[in-house]
Amino acid sequence: MSVNEKAVRAYRRNTIICLGGILAVFLLIPAFVKNPYTLNVFILIFYTSTLSMAWNLLGGMTGQNSLGHAAYMGLGAYAASMLITKAHLNPWLSGILGMIAVGLVAGVIFYPCFILKGPYFTLVSIAFGEALRQFIINSAFFGRASGIGLPFGRDSWLDFRFGSKEPYYYVGLVMLLLVYLVMKKIERSRMGYALRTIREDEDAAAAIGINPMKYKIMAVVVSAMVAGLVGFFYASYIRYIDPEMMIQAKSTESVLPAVVGGAAFVEGPLVGGLIMVPLSEFLRANFSKILPGINMLLYAVALLAVIRFRPAGILGWYSHSKLKTFIDTKILKKPPIEVIEEVELARRQRKEA
Amino acid sequence: MLNVKDLRAGYGAINILWDISFQVAEGEIVAILGSNGAGKTTMVRAVTGMVRPSAGVVQFNGEDLAKKSSRYILDQGIVQVPEGRQIFTEMTVLENLEMGAFNKETRAAFQENLRTAYQRFPRLEERAKQAAGTLSGGEQQMLAVARALIGMPKLLILDEPSLGLAPNIVDDILQVAADMARRDRISVLLVEQDITKALACADRGYVIENGRIALEGTAAALSANEHVKKAYLGI
Repeated sequence: MSVNEKAVRAYRRNTIICLGGILAVFLLIPAFVKNPYTLNVFILIFYTSTLSMAWNLLGGMTGQNSLGHAAYMGLGAYAASMLITKAHLNPWLSGILGMIAVGLVAGVIFYPCFILKGPYFTLVSIAFGEALRQFIINSAFFGRASGIGLPFGRDSWLDFRFGSKEPYYYVGLVMLLLVYLVMKKIERSRMGYALRTIREDEDAAAAIGINPMKYKIMAVVVSAMVAGLVGFFYASYIRYIDPEMMIQAKSTESVLPAVVGGAAFVEGPLVGGLIMVPLSEFLRANFSKILPGINMLLYAVALLAVIRFRPAGILGWYSHSKLKTFIDTKILKKPPIEVIEEVELARRQRKEA
Repeated sequence: MLNVKDLRAGYGAINILWDISFQVAEGEIVAILGSNGAGKTTMVRAVTGMVRPSAGVVQFNGEDLAKKSSRYILDQGIVQVPEGRQIFTEMTVLENLEMGAFNKETRAAFQENLRTAYQRFPRLEERAKQAAGTLSGGEQQMLAVARALIGMPKLLILDEPSLGLAPNIVDDILQVAADMARRDRISVLLVEQDITKALACADRGYVIENGRIALEGTAAALSANEHVKKAYLGI
């Protein structure tokens, strides 16, 4: 094995150790943190970040800015809850069926909508979300404005029902990791490349044989299914849902972690969620007593600061920062990019031979 | 090779092209000329399947492509360099070229085609790792042409390559097109407003006015035509 290969292997190993360390910290948190409020903040981080990853597939990677993701989340929550309470299906099965239902609805609704581009698509996504919310408010079948409660009872993995926060913490973490891996896989696949070309220039994408409509529909269906999954998790955790969860402000909340963290990166929503959710909770807990509403104002100021000074998000800044150079060279011992590419090319050629 | 007959196309209820007919033979450079709004780009889009023709035949090597998808048409070997360059500015030069090999056949031959493209445009190899948006206008147009070459065209459509470029760069690009037609027997459909340059490079030409073919003939005959002289060359 050459020196180069060894260096690349060492770099890969260091990266895995670092990521594994971060994961281990998150796995161990419930062992040390017993305060339910703090655990709740973590669970909130997990599902908000996951929802934001769903948004980012469409908004960040494909360039279709949706402002209706709370509706998909609500639809997933309602579909799963209806199956649990009315059809008495197993909650896990209901969650999966709910996801499929949301994917189908999103695909059917957005098939005609993708004739629209840019801001018009965004407007339609708002209208769709609001229409869905109004439909539920006015439908006796869906419990009108009073919502649906899920049954309480003994702790059970089979029924996805717990009195304590820890199990939700771990399920939320696993959900986040799985969705992250799926998004990472998509980013590196044919579909990921197609979505990026569509974001940059739809006509040019069509000119090189990519069918923009097909890939946009694929993106919207996957994105909506993940949002539906988050809805199922939310319903199982809170055990009560109402149409309020689909209001416009909630859709905006699904966008913020991605924008703050860096919408060009799959990791953006994770970083953004890790910062924005605790910030929002901290402000709510500590400032709303002083002057009601000031927490929202401070949150908005923090958001405006990011958009004004770091429009590419935190990761956009990080990817060109001295901090990254320091971490890469001193901690991960990353070899020069040419060396990595050389090793990669040699490996690929060996594989082909 | 390409035989377009009585092609009609438009957007929604508005018809743009009225019974357009033209032919391109193997290894031939055919210029489609006309002023702004004459229907040139709509014609390109109708041939490549990006606009569905409402009537007519687009025959390519004996097969009618008029109702086929743009993906299918591309796979048959009709590759276009769209108007206004349309490269992916945030991707690197190399990634842009890779995107030119999106279907399976072209991907298998990618490395070989990449070498050929780099030989034709050595500047692109120097800048392979650079974001395409940082290239000059001429280099971007070269990249757009190179991306089309990676798609192994039998018929290459150049939609207004001269748009916004310095005259000597336009000459370079037309030189490459002429070269491909002569040496590799690739047919070229050159859609242009700059009639002098287009006719200097093409074998034959068609003039489109108001969505109809107004004139056709060899490049020499069109250059000498009184109407062309008056309306387009200003002499």
